[in-house]
Amino acid sequence: MSGKRVSTGIKGLDQVLGGGYPENSMNVIMGSPGAGKSILAEQMAFTNATKERPAMYLTTFSEPLEKFIVNSQSYSFFDAGKVGVEVLYEDLGLPIREKGYAELPALLTEFLTARHPQILVIDSFKALSELAKTPEESRLVLFDVATLLANYDCTAVFVGEYSSDAMTELPIFAIADSILSLRRHGRNGNDQRFLCVEKLRGSFSAPGLHAFSITSEGIEVFPRLLTPLSFTSYSAPSLQKVSTGVRGLDPLVENGFWRGSTTLVAGPTGAGKSMLSLQFLQQGALAGEPGLYVGFQENPVQLGRITTGFGWDMKKLEKKEVFEFMYRSPVEMQLDEVAARIFDRVQEGKVKRIVIDALGDLKRRSLDENRFADYIYSLTQWFALKEVTCLMTYELEELFEFHSITGEEISNMADNVLLLRFTPEASMARTLRVVKTRGAAHDQREHLLELSRKGVSVGKPWKESRQSRM
Amino acid sequence: MTSAEAAGPARTKHHVLALVVERNLIVQRLERFFLEKAGYEVEFASDGVSALARAKELRPAILVTEILVPRMDGLTLCRLLKSLPETREIVVLVFSHLEAEGRAMEAGADAFLRKPLSEEPLVEILGRLVARHQQILREKK
Repeated sequence: MSGKRVSTGIKGLDQVLGGGYPENSMNVIMGSPGAGKSILAEQMAFTNATKERPAMYLTTFSEPLEKFIVNSQSYSFFDAGKVGVEVLYEDLGLPIREKGYAELPALLTEFLTARHPQILVIDSFKALSELAKTPEESRLVLFDVATLLANYDCTAVFVGEYSSDAMTELPIFAIADSILSLRRHGRNGNDQRFLCVEKLRGSFSAPGLHAFSITSEGIEVFPRLLTPLSFTSYSAPSLQKVSTGVRGLDPLVENGFWRGSTTLVAGPTGAGKSMLSLQFLQQGALAGEPGLYVGFQENPVQLGRITTGFGWDMKKLEKKEVFEFMYRSPVEMQLDEVAARIFDRVQEGKVKRIVIDALGDLKRRSLDENRFADYIYSLTQWFALKEVTCLMTYELEELFEFHSITGEEISNMADNVLLLRFTPEASMARTLRVVKTRGAAHDQREHLLELSRKGVSVGKPWKESRQSRM
Repeated sequence: MTSAEAAGPARTKHHVLALVVERNLIVQRLERFFLEKAGYEVEFASDGVSALARAKELRPAILVTEILVPRMDGLTLCRLLKSLPETREIVVLVFSHLEAEGRAMEAGADAFLRKPLSEEPLVEILGRLVARHQQILREKK
């Protein structure tokens, strides 16, 4: 194998594989039926195929060729004009059925010499290899195929409905240069797809499970978020303060938040979390700091009603590209996808303020609580490195008193924690208290939080508060 | 008949003999196809010792060798070919999976090409080696 890489045609998967498949490698894509194996292999074929060096897609016994092509046409990457010219489909099952499995190396040699493909896909190789008369024949034929492919300039993909148990039993997993496993995980109807690089010979791959989705565009992969390898330096501008945008709040946290810090805004429904966060973005945008609002509850129309009610022209800010609204329905939303899209925006360097509203929605769509906490930690580290100041809201069930802010150590990860609540003692007034600030002094008293037609502001200390006496 | 069989190699013989040292029959089949398609007459040896004997016997214009061949490695073979009066005019292409261009040139090879086999660079380099061989023969006269 050379050091060069062959793109899979899927940006996120190329990242996971360290740039794509190694050139001239022999790769296995495994998974149960319906996992997305063939879509992935076809996407790769259409991405790389040229007239001079086409991609050969050899079907076997998992699906008739005709049916296979009919199904493939529903994806946007499938270009019918390329079929027969750049992407060559052949039924490998037919000649193997006539001549026997032992003839596979000779048949592949004919395909390679006649068509000079740079990509060779056999789908399904598992179904084909089941025609071997003995395990010995299976192993020897596979060895010859591997020898052939190692000596010819093409990158091969063997698709198969293998289970994870097969990895310790079948010789193809020892011979293959890479093994990519596609899986589905579900809980309470929350069905999500993940892929994992089980093996990648002689090169780096991103560890762990990476989420992916299948749409009419094909496969999109969302690489698992890892913490940055470097940390922010303690120098300007990381030692700058940014205004919270909320009148009366800056003095409570020593003139604003540190740039690149993360603030958790926790409180019950209706306490003013979203309003405070939106105002943080709106005021930031007016000061020239582009902001991103990631929301899972209010759709764009509902959010527009709220902001218009305060006289904020968010459409104008969107046109100026200093405000962006990223809405995801909490029903279809996937933690990995949201994290990946936020990460992309941060990497682009066009965002200086971010609001995630609310963490609970993300948590509910996570299949693993540790994974959720890991994601939030990684994101906050990236925010710090890229000097993006973040507010994350978290909804608490209790209206008046709180025993714990979150169960996921999120409050430990946050640089600042603002606690919002209602006071039953005074006609359900809203209050705000700064529970924690990292690297700054803060006013520990509970203050009134006032909502008016102009937005949110922090008022006088709430001396009668039960919690402030505790 | 498959479409691959139907296509077949387009052969234009120009009577240049290439001796290829390759131990694996499957790879031999692959190399034969592309060399014959490019118009070469092709003979094979499956190890370094028999390659040396065949080279003395056949006097090919070109010898193509992998480094990793049995009994005598391709670089030793190359050194011997270049040291013997009866074989030194044979042009040698070291065609290997190993990244060993420097070692091949030190051993006296006329060219080095890294595997895997890709038709265009192989045919192009063989064309240059044929021209070099013809020049050697002219200079000898």
